[in-house]
Amino acid sequence: MKYLSTAILKVTLILCFTGIAFAQDQCYTCHQALGDKPATMYKKDIHFAKGISCASCHGGDSKKEEMEAAMDPATGFKGVPTGDEVSKTCATCHADAEKMKTLGSTLPTTQWEHLQSSVHGKLSVSGKENIVQCTTCHSVHDIVSVKNPTSPVYPLNAVKTCTKCHADASFMKTYNPSLPVDQFEKYRTSVHGTLNGKGDPKAAECASCHGSHDIRSAKDAKSKVYAANLPATCSSCHSDAEYMKGYNIPTDQHANFSKSVHGIALLEKHDIAAPACNDCHGNHGAMPPGVESISKVCGTCHALNADLFSSSPHKKAFDERKLPECETCHGNHDISPASKSLLGVSNDAVCSKCHSEQENPKGFTVARMMRTMIDSLETLEQTASGLIDEAEQKGMEVSESKFKLRDAHQARLQSRTAVHSFNEEKFREVVTKGLTVAHEVGTEGKAAVDEFYFRRWGLGVATLIITIVGISLYLMIRRIERRQSLSKTKTQ
Amino acid sequence: MNEYPEQPKKRDLLKLVLTGGLVAWAGSVFYPIFAYLKPPKQPEVEVSNVKAGKLADIPKESGTIVKFGSKPVILVRSAKDELRAFDATCTHLDCTVQYSKEKGMLWCACHNGTYDLTGRNVGGPPPRPLEEYRVIIQGEEVLISKKS
Amino acid sequence: MKKLLTKYYSWIDERVHLEDLVHFMGKKYVPIHRHSVWYYFGGVSLFLFIIQVITGIMLLLYYKGSEELAFESIQFIISKVEFGWLIRSIHSWAANLFVLAAMIHMFSVYFEKAYRKPREITWLTGMLMFFLALGFGFSGYLLPWNELAFFATKVGTDIAGVVPGIGEPILLFLRAGEDVTGATLSRFFGFHVAVFPGIFTVLLGIHLVLVQRQGMSEPHGFNPNEGNGEKTMPFFPNFLLRDLLLWLIVLNLLAILAVFFPWELGKKADAFAPAPAGIKPEWYFMFMFQTLKLIPAKIWFMDGEVIGILTFGAAGALWMFVPFWDRKSSKGEKNRLINYLGIFAVIYIIILTILGWIL
Repeated sequence: MKYLSTAILKVTLILCFTGIAFAQDQCYTCHQALGDKPATMYKKDIHFAKGISCASCHGGDSKKEEMEAAMDPATGFKGVPTGDEVSKTCATCHADAEKMKTLGSTLPTTQWEHLQSSVHGKLSVSGKENIVQCTTCHSVHDIVSVKNPTSPVYPLNAVKTCTKCHADASFMKTYNPSLPVDQFEKYRTSVHGTLNGKGDPKAAECASCHGSHDIRSAKDAKSKVYAANLPATCSSCHSDAEYMKGYNIPTDQHANFSKSVHGIALLEKHDIAAPACNDCHGNHGAMPPGVESISKVCGTCHALNADLFSSSPHKKAFDERKLPECETCHGNHDISPASKSLLGVSNDAVCSKCHSEQENPKGFTVARMMRTMIDSLETLEQTASGLIDEAEQKGMEVSESKFKLRDAHQARLQSRTAVHSFNEEKFREVVTKGLTVAHEVGTEGKAAVDEFYFRRWGLGVATLIITIVGISLYLMIRRIERRQSLSKTKTQ
Repeated sequence: MNEYPEQPKKRDLLKLVLTGGLVAWAGSVFYPIFAYLKPPKQPEVEVSNVKAGKLADIPKESGTIVKFGSKPVILVRSAKDELRAFDATCTHLDCTVQYSKEKGMLWCACHNGTYDLTGRNVGGPPPRPLEEYRVIIQGEEVLISKKS
Repeated sequence: MKKLLTKYYSWIDERVHLEDLVHFMGKKYVPIHRHSVWYYFGGVSLFLFIIQVITGIMLLLYYKGSEELAFESIQFIISKVEFGWLIRSIHSWAANLFVLAAMIHMFSVYFEKAYRKPREITWLTGMLMFFLALGFGFSGYLLPWNELAFFATKVGTDIAGVVPGIGEPILLFLRAGEDVTGATLSRFFGFHVAVFPGIFTVLLGIHLVLVQRQGMSEPHGFNPNEGNGEKTMPFFPNFLLRDLLLWLIVLNLLAILAVFFPWELGKKADAFAPAPAGIKPEWYFMFMFQTLKLIPAKIWFMDGEVIGILTFGAAGALWMFVPFWDRKSSKGEKNRLINYLGIFAVIYIIILTILGWIL
């Protein structure tokens, strides 16, 4: 059988030789004539256009017409590369900057390296090869540029390419059972996914956020979707005014976010519990939250405030006026740490935007009252804490008062939350507790400081008395001794 | 005594000053002593320390705040009858956390931060877990100490 | 007024013959010479001891000697009890000044060789009281049950445990167990307020009676009757009034120290916490502590620490029994060796103490 096939090949080769004289790539020439699929496909391949012969990947000598000679293992013939050999074969050129330059390519040469360190560069379940080879995504023999709409990694196709594995629950289970497989479905509900589905190659697809060769787990600090890196990843498109032209959305979100309380916590303090873009907008299903659901979204972290708000009179009033709940007062991307200046009826306070003395006097009075109470609690707490510090610095024992001061601090923080009930009674209850404690601590601190001065004065008085006694005692001794010496001389 | 040529007036002054000084001095010594002996407003030192109390007195599914030096520590006896103690100062903004029976977790009333029963911050704004303290059971007594 | 006083005086005199005592006191003289100033330190020590007794009793009214309450009760004393801060600070400061005054008193007696015959017993009782004073210091240091004291006691008792043979039982006895615990605190409390004061009072009684009985020691070759300018002064009232004047000053000094440098309480002891940095014994143990730290771990075939402790023990015994081996001084001859030894001891203590504070 083997003999027969070689005989047929021989005949064919001779036919080829006679048919196309001086063809440079003898492998291609013959294999195409044979009509085998890879050779047919290869015509469209970018590597064919660059004049890369079959032998570059499969080995052998492409100049030899004789099949035996061309595919002689002595000439380095490898046949079909398998396992990691596939990617290594690609890397012989794609990881070699010099070679790529001579071929006139400006592609980076780090893909192989990146792939190896990525989550896909780990050993597969077989334990013989890595999970993903170049060909897994780029296909083989019909490889084209990523910009070519027929490429499996072209933005509009990439989603399906990734989905081949990532939506396959039974396959994914073998690697990461807890990883969801519904990303694609969610993606199609997102703004990005809708645009992509409509054929907009500019809309973000998998690789836009996750990277292509260097895909890492979201928990990996080097990952593009790691919480602290995510804002920069999103902003690579969303802050690019040129790129975002035509979408009619602002491009200052990232700039605003980095200044916000969340941005500072996440980006500067590296508190990865702080929200990144995806925590409010969703990740695969990214979309701005709707007006009525804002308090729910913020409430995933700020639960107490959200609960209080939802049961407050503002909930209904905001919904009716289509006001975006939390955002109305706190803003969105540029949320600054909530300060008491938001509260009240002064010009910079937000309450007065709706509540004026004439039109809405009840809300106006409550807002003013709340601000006054928070102000006085703060002042009282500060005074008390100052007095305690002073007393402590003076060496007085005030540890108990200091302990108590925590309650005032807690009450103040709670009162800030209690504002969201927009209910005078509830608010007053919390603040009053704080005021009482702060007042008590203040009194104790004052007493401790007074006591310090009392000690100094007491000591002063005692020293004065002792000095007087000392001096008069000294004089007394002198007098006694003078008399003694007088009486002595007298007796002599 | 009168045989000495001394001016009686001067002698009287010195004696007067000395006696007066001594009386004042005695006052400045005895005043603090008597003030010290006077029972203070709070007649006895309060029991407040790392001894958290008797095991039998700590109900299941409860959290007790124990004063540990100048810091509050929360001693939790879980539904599974485990005893654990944590720094009760919320890592978010220094409020004092409490045990929420309903959630079976440590909970901060200020911003609804939650920690699981290993002290890990699992919900709300707290950025860090709570520092755990060691719980030692000595006979009937439950002791809390700092982890080294 | 004066008449009334005289009446009471004669009423008592009639019964207990006070006249004898006054007569005796009147006959007692204090020699005046260039080293007379050292005579005052005995009196100052006595005064400080009296202060310790008074303030100690006062503290006892509120202090609770148990592991759970010791620290809190001191905190209570200094924050809740009126003038508690003052009493507590004075007790702490006077304790230190007492050891200092006793030390000066001891060295002055040593250099004057006032221990020589016939005052051997006075010297012995004095030395025993000095050791007791150190015991007071060591036991009292633990009573506030704060971190520093806890670990210093641990280290201190550890050192005692090193002594071969008897060390282990001593350690167990002192700690009331393997470790420094609440039981140690109870034990130290007992020593501090009952055992030591009892013994101390007896020794002090003997000491004072002997001083009155034998009069003040005079330096070699002191002879006030030769008209060579050497004088004496009556103990009563001249010396006693001077004593009183000095006591007043000391009392004021204590008050100043207590107000301006209140004795710190620190943090409550925690047996499971790691030892804090900078555990130092009280200054009067520092030279011994420092020596043991500097001594090599092994000398020849013996443990360096053991050698150090045994050496200190031997030196202490030698020091205490100096009246019995210093024959020359008792015979009225000069003994330079004693001076050299004393100077060496003083310099050694000073240098090692300084080293202990800066190292």
